Amino acid sequence: MIDLIAALLMAVAAVTSIVFTYLAVVEKNLVQAVVFSAVQSTMYALIYFLLMAPDIVLVYLPVGVGIYPAIVLLLIKKTDKVDE
Amino acid sequence: MKVTDLVVAASIVALALLLSYAMFLGGIGPVPVRSELRTLALNYILLTYNPVKVVYSALAPEGVTAIVWDYRGLDTYFETAVMFLAIISVVALTHGCKVRIGLGKGGMSLIVKTTTRVLMPLIVLAGVSITMHGWLTPGGGFQGGATIAVATVLALVTYSIDTLAKHGIRKRVLLAMRSTGLIGIALTAVALLIIGLAIGVNAYIFQNQKRIGSPLAFPAYFSGTPTGGSLLFYNLFEAFAVSAGLSLAIIVTSLREKEVKETLRGEGVE
Repeated sequence: MIDLIAALLMAVAAVTSIVFTYLAVVEKNLVQAVVFSAVQSTMYALIYFLLMAPDIVLVYLPVGVGIYPAIVLLLIKKTDKVDE
Repeated sequence: MKVTDLVVAASIVALALLLSYAMFLGGIGPVPVRSELRTLALNYILLTYNPVKVVYSALAPEGVTAIVWDYRGLDTYFETAVMFLAIISVVALTHGCKVRIGLGKGGMSLIVKTTTRVLMPLIVLAGVSITMHGWLTPGGGFQGGATIAVATVLALVTYSIDTLAKHGIRKRVLLAMRSTGLIGIALTAVALLIIGLAIGVNAYIFQNQKRIGSPLAFPAYFSGTPTGGSLLFYNLFEAFAVSAGLSLAIIVTSLREKEVKETLRGEGVE
């Protein structure tokens, strides 16, 4: 039973991550695109957690949600916020 | 968001779901049986903490850290070296650029600054804790170092790069810290080899506990708690190197246009 719940949660997280990846690709506003990308990272962290890989979760959270969006946002700040 | 976007997203999701259903039914290839552990995994799980068979063991309860820094230590060493090269190239791009104090507005409002001042020690503490339990619970040097680097990001965004420079968090200091970490890792890797050469006993590179043909070992317990031998040192130095390296990357990317342009034109070069 618990296996089934974990698998269902993983499926929901995976599907959500697909939607957010697509949104990050097509979004013209780059700041919003970074936020979509961060949501996708969070979904992946959830999947890793459910797959019982806590070591990867601990890397994925600071890098995928903290450092990577921060670096990209800093770079966007130096260029245009909207992709023409 | 347009209707077309929604339709395309829904169709990609439908494709993924259909593919996984086909995979589940065995239509794409045989599905691996997941009820039994494979022999390789079983060996690692049985030997990671095994005081009876010390010659095959890392004496650390956390399997992942044991594999990363003991059984497959060389792989991890070169991974760390690759990251070091990436950081070096980022720094080389902005060679000679110095932070000019007084260019920016000086960060965000007092409320945000106070909140950050409360939060930052907690983040650093969490990072240190993840590092210092790396051989007992999930986590380790990279995880802890990345968490500590988040504190730098927070400080940079709320307090501005000027304040960081005033408090001594500069490029040169961070680069020195990064190099110290990498040298520490390299020294830990050859420590037993050097001792073995000095006293005339066999030893291996990346040796942790006693191995066949070598009696040398890092101390495996500290007041009754397992330390994982060399894993303690690897985790500490890796956290040092990663936190400094990622902070450095953040600081270099947040250099302002004026500072970089000045250097490109040839003004203000050290």
